[in-house]
Amino acid sequence: MTNRTGRRIRLNRRDLTGVYLTAAVLTLAVLAQATLLTRIRLGGASPNLLLVIVVCWSLLRGQTDGVLWGFAGGLGLDLVAGLPLGASALALMITCPLTVLGKDSVFPGSLTLPALLVLLATPVFGWVILLTKTVLGLPVEWLASTLYIIGPEMALNLALTPVVYPALRWLAQQARAGQVGW
Amino acid sequence: MTRVSGRTFLFFLLAAACMALLVLSSSDRLGPVEGAVMTAGRPFLITFSGIGRQITNLVNTARDLAMLRARNNQLQAVVDTLTIDNLRLKEIEAENERLRSLLRFAQLNPNYDFRGGQVIARVISKNPSNYLASITLDLGAEHGIKPGMPVVTERGLVGRIYKVRPLSATVLLITDPSSGVPALIQRNRLVGVVNGRAGSAPVMDYIPQDAEITVGDLIITSGLGGEFPKNLVIGQVVEVRQRDYEMFQQAMIRPTVNFDRLEFVQVITNFQPLPGPPDEPDSVG
Repeated sequence: MTNRTGRRIRLNRRDLTGVYLTAAVLTLAVLAQATLLTRIRLGGASPNLLLVIVVCWSLLRGQTDGVLWGFAGGLGLDLVAGLPLGASALALMITCPLTVLGKDSVFPGSLTLPALLVLLATPVFGWVILLTKTVLGLPVEWLASTLYIIGPEMALNLALTPVVYPALRWLAQQARAGQVGW
Repeated sequence: MTRVSGRTFLFFLLAAACMALLVLSSSDRLGPVEGAVMTAGRPFLITFSGIGRQITNLVNTARDLAMLRARNNQLQAVVDTLTIDNLRLKEIEAENERLRSLLRFAQLNPNYDFRGGQVIARVISKNPSNYLASITLDLGAEHGIKPGMPVVTERGLVGRIYKVRPLSATVLLITDPSSGVPALIQRNRLVGVVNGRAGSAPVMDYIPQDAEITVGDLIITSGLGGEFPKNLVIGQVVEVRQRDYEMFQQAMIRPTVNFDRLEFVQVITNFQPLPGPPDEPDSVG
């Protein structure tokens, strides 16, 4: 395989391990999202594990990794949820550039920054999904969705962040140490 | 000329892929691919769903234990032991009871000619997205499930099948904003439409201003439009909204079905919905 500059790209064993691990993490996240986390309800919403994972991973490993995770995880979620294929993927990808806000953060290494970014990304994700639906010609309840779904989802995602971020930070550290290739 | 970075290129490439998928998915050209992926993922969904049920049972059991501890300290040790020992048996018994209730549905509702046309399905996924009120069943086209078929429990109407794959099917719940169920008030036979609401209880719309509605009135399907059978219970009126400047009044409804605790549902397979609009959900929210 060649890249855009004509150089050959060779996938070594470490890269392949990374692909497998990424697939495993995202598959587990989609399955947990579809079956386990839906049992936690606040208002009309459940926590959005995939969104929290994508935002945290994007913060830890950079936007490119985040975009790839958002694309793959979003497609999985769309398949399970019955949403038009690509809707969640697009919305998750769009939340990744938000992490540029944390580039020169005054809270390095703390949970404050991922929590703030998750709070910011949740409405962005929701509104992109609603916008996608609108573009597809489907009627959408913007105000009710914002009040009764996005609002509670922000609180739930915020609560999920202290669990997800340290776990992903550990994975990222393993990756940097060369124990796990991404 | 401005150079586009690799990151930006990747982002726009994947965004373009998403849009292409959205277009193809909306025109239902990806049905076979989605079906194949869901078929492969079905065993995992069933497994995870089972784990979720066990966790819920454990949480409920813990809650019950706490209550019993407060009420009766003398029984504490007995309750602890019996709860752990009987957890599995209780689960089987509860499952058995739910299945029996579903099987009794036709006998309890002699007006419906559904005998021989009922399929009991297990719910393997509930509301995976906050933006579509849906559940996924472990039965699909290979089991005779078709789009539009009504889905019920012994307590009332759940929704209708809107997406069918070989071994699974998605049900659009009556609580989704895109769901509209022609209904009537049982007491005075006034007709209206029960519409889902984003994040809140469904509402019965299009009730004339001069109509008399009271809290507690039972709402059932009217059968108008041919999408649902007649006389399926939907819920009870819990609040009436009447504004003088509006053409119609609204009734907030509490569905008789507890959508948070759905484990088994019944698909009515011998009801033929009249041809209507496409089976895709009309909205999300």
